[in-house]
Amino acid sequence: MEENSKEPVKITIILPTNAYFMSGIRDFTLSMIRNMTHFSEQWAYRFQSVVDELCNNAIEFGSAPGKEITVTFINHPDESIEITVEDTGTGKSKVTAENLKKLVAERSQPSYSFKDIRGRGLAKIVAAWTDELEFTDRKEGGIKVRIKKYLNQPLQPVSGSVQSDPTHVVLTI
Amino acid sequence: MAQIIITIEDIPAATADKKLKLVKFAGQLDESNVDEKAKGIYDLINATPQGLFLIFDFEKLEYMNSKSIGYLTDWYTKLSEKKGGIVIANARANILDILQVVGLTQLIKCVPTIEEAKASIN
Repeated sequence: MEENSKEPVKITIILPTNAYFMSGIRDFTLSMIRNMTHFSEQWAYRFQSVVDELCNNAIEFGSAPGKEITVTFINHPDESIEITVEDTGTGKSKVTAENLKKLVAERSQPSYSFKDIRGRGLAKIVAAWTDELEFTDRKEGGIKVRIKKYLNQPLQPVSGSVQSDPTHVVLTI
Repeated sequence: MAQIIITIEDIPAATADKKLKLVKFAGQLDESNVDEKAKGIYDLINATPQGLFLIFDFEKLEYMNSKSIGYLTDWYTKLSEKKGGIVIANARANILDILQVVGLTQLIKCVPTIEEAKASIN
């Protein structure tokens, strides 16, 4: 592969609706961010969490056991990383993209009090560590979640709990 | 499936009204194992009427997901209601980062070493 190519690189993984496989997807995410992008080590771990949370939601709510979820990574060299997670809509939750968007907006409020073990992933982790978070209804059924993080855009403080960290490191040789 | 090993040992406390336990985590806490492993911590909490303090040694904890953080919050709440608590020690940078982004470092004390964790309780 041409090392200096600026063409986007797209990798799609289809996996069964089972959390058993998530440690492998996390390993892949960490390795891909480290080897194919200029995001820092801290961001490699953050994307690992973002992908894990998106997939866990799709597995628990979006696709029924025996079905599948689809994870796509698009690396825009020196610009951004884009990740989508799609479910089939066969799972136990029949929530729409609009409902999900409202849910995340509500739970992202600093005053929101979490009463349950679950519910922090999208609102507190994915929303905080991405520049774009978009939910769309798939015409085949199910939901597609798309996130994007730009390489050169510093993280904006969320809920007063996150410091502005650089998204990348520059090595001078 | 992610692997996680949790070991628990008693630690001497400075005063008789406190009970200290060191809980060591090694591996990854995720959707595939956290529900099962959480039961052991609940058993520990339920078995002690008052004043149980848990030092969570996260030195070998490589990953934790949002549900693990939800359990952590619940354990802390239950222990606090019984005049106990949780202190986190030795956490790696990626673990501290995720605890910080969900706001848990404002609730649960995180210190660099086990000795500092003991000192903060005693």
